[in-house]
Amino acid sequence: MRGGIFSVLSDFLSGLGRAQFFLLGILRAVPGALLRPRAIIRQLYMIGVLSLIIIVISGMFIGMVLSLQGYHTLVRFGAASSLGVLVALSIIRELGPVVTALLFAGRAGSALAAEIGLMRATDQLSAMEMMAVDPMRHVIAPRFIAGVIAAPLLTAIFCVMAIGVAGGHAIGVELLGVDAGSYWSQIRANVDVHDLIQSCIKAAVFGAVISWIAVYQGYHAAPTSEGVSRATTSTVVVSSLSILALDFILTAFMFR
Amino acid sequence: MTDARTMPAPAADSATLVRVRGLHFSQGRRKIYDGIDVDIARGKITAIMGPSGTGKTTLLRIIGGQWRPSAGAVEFDGVNIHKQRQRGLYALRKRMSLLFQNGALLTDLSVFENVAFPLREHTRLPEAAIRDIVLMKLEAVGLRGASKLYPEELSGGMARRVALARAIALDPEMVMYDEPFTGQDPISMGVLMRLIQSLNRSLGITSVIVSHDVEEVLSIADFAYVISNGQVLARGTPDEIRASESEYVQQFLQGRPDGPVAFHFKARPLADEFLERA
Repeated sequence: MRGGIFSVLSDFLSGLGRAQFFLLGILRAVPGALLRPRAIIRQLYMIGVLSLIIIVISGMFIGMVLSLQGYHTLVRFGAASSLGVLVALSIIRELGPVVTALLFAGRAGSALAAEIGLMRATDQLSAMEMMAVDPMRHVIAPRFIAGVIAAPLLTAIFCVMAIGVAGGHAIGVELLGVDAGSYWSQIRANVDVHDLIQSCIKAAVFGAVISWIAVYQGYHAAPTSEGVSRATTSTVVVSSLSILALDFILTAFMFR
Repeated sequence: MTDARTMPAPAADSATLVRVRGLHFSQGRRKIYDGIDVDIARGKITAIMGPSGTGKTTLLRIIGGQWRPSAGAVEFDGVNIHKQRQRGLYALRKRMSLLFQNGALLTDLSVFENVAFPLREHTRLPEAAIRDIVLMKLEAVGLRGASKLYPEELSGGMARRVALARAIALDPEMVMYDEPFTGQDPISMGVLMRLIQSLNRSLGITSVIVSHDVEEVLSIADFAYVISNGQVLARGTPDEIRASESEYVQQFLQGRPDGPVAFHFKARPLADEFLERA
């Protein structure tokens, strides 16, 4: 029993060590990748623009649900006019970065892992190495950079959709009759610029972690269909758990 | 022709581009190479032959520096490949190329861009020059008309010809071919054989061919190795290999199922398996 636990712990720590060395390799390749912005822009399209629909629709519905739930709670205390600030702070501080990151891991992270895993299985990465082209600089770093840039932008779009006209505002103001002036003025008065900065920091950290996990899993996938499938699943599972754990840690530091 | 196990390893000389000495390599618990010596002569066509699973492709990957041997040395033009850092290794790889069995074309690039890829990465040639070189290389493999297609639109044989055009884009000193004839129709196979020969004769490119197509390979090779069970079973010119008295070599050349090389993987007797209770 003790041997089993020791073995699992040892595997976990050695995997973590390998992933950290891999991250160092990515960071070393980042300056070279930045010299080729076309590859980054292409990846921004692949993982950012193509994730827009799921982010926009999810943002709308989460804003609507939050507004509906919030109104029925606040109205009991005669505080329905505070609906705007409830929706805005919940979305900006927590739900925006976390839900966007979870959706990003499911949509873009899995796609990244599968793409790189298939490149490994079909010898494309080996072919690059044999052509004296570093796959870290050419394939991995542009995807990592694009993930770090795309996640905060998608989070901002998610927040706008959730709080704005199509989300919380549509339900709170248009459907339930909260005054539009108090909805928006409460948001202006109570949402601090620090909330926005902290939201951006969370989103960027989540984006970096998801991209790191996705490219690591894809790069080290066994060169079989099962290997690619495992890499994709691991990306979503490990990313989701990491996001939730990191969210707690970041929140604890930010709101001390 | 001498049985390789009784023959001393060839002496080192400047005519040797790749020198493999005492190579040991294992995958998991399976021993692939058990101390083999191989020399690839500069400017010649060397064939590496042997039954499936003997590690012929592995040898190419070890020579390319992708995999590290557990013991032994692999030198390219006098430089130990596995003692190089990334920069040194990449400098050596610019002088060699490997034609992968499945082509390994980059799927997000067109045929033209795949062949142009090493040129764009390693030269500062103007676009017009890159275009001319790519079209020349594609013409050589008969696929200039397919330059706008993407890898998923190509057959397996076409993909391998595009990969060959890419492999020779930078005019390397050595090209390693991993099963270049598999899946090719007779016309394409003939063209490929002539192309490998002409690259070798006119440009002096050293060629290493790993293949099961014994007759085709022996018809163009200057020197050949037969490898099995982690050992070099025979080495010599094609005529010497054909005239070999080794039962191993003759079984392989004639494709006989019975002989010293077992067709069946090691197993219990079939009758025992049938009689075994569920």
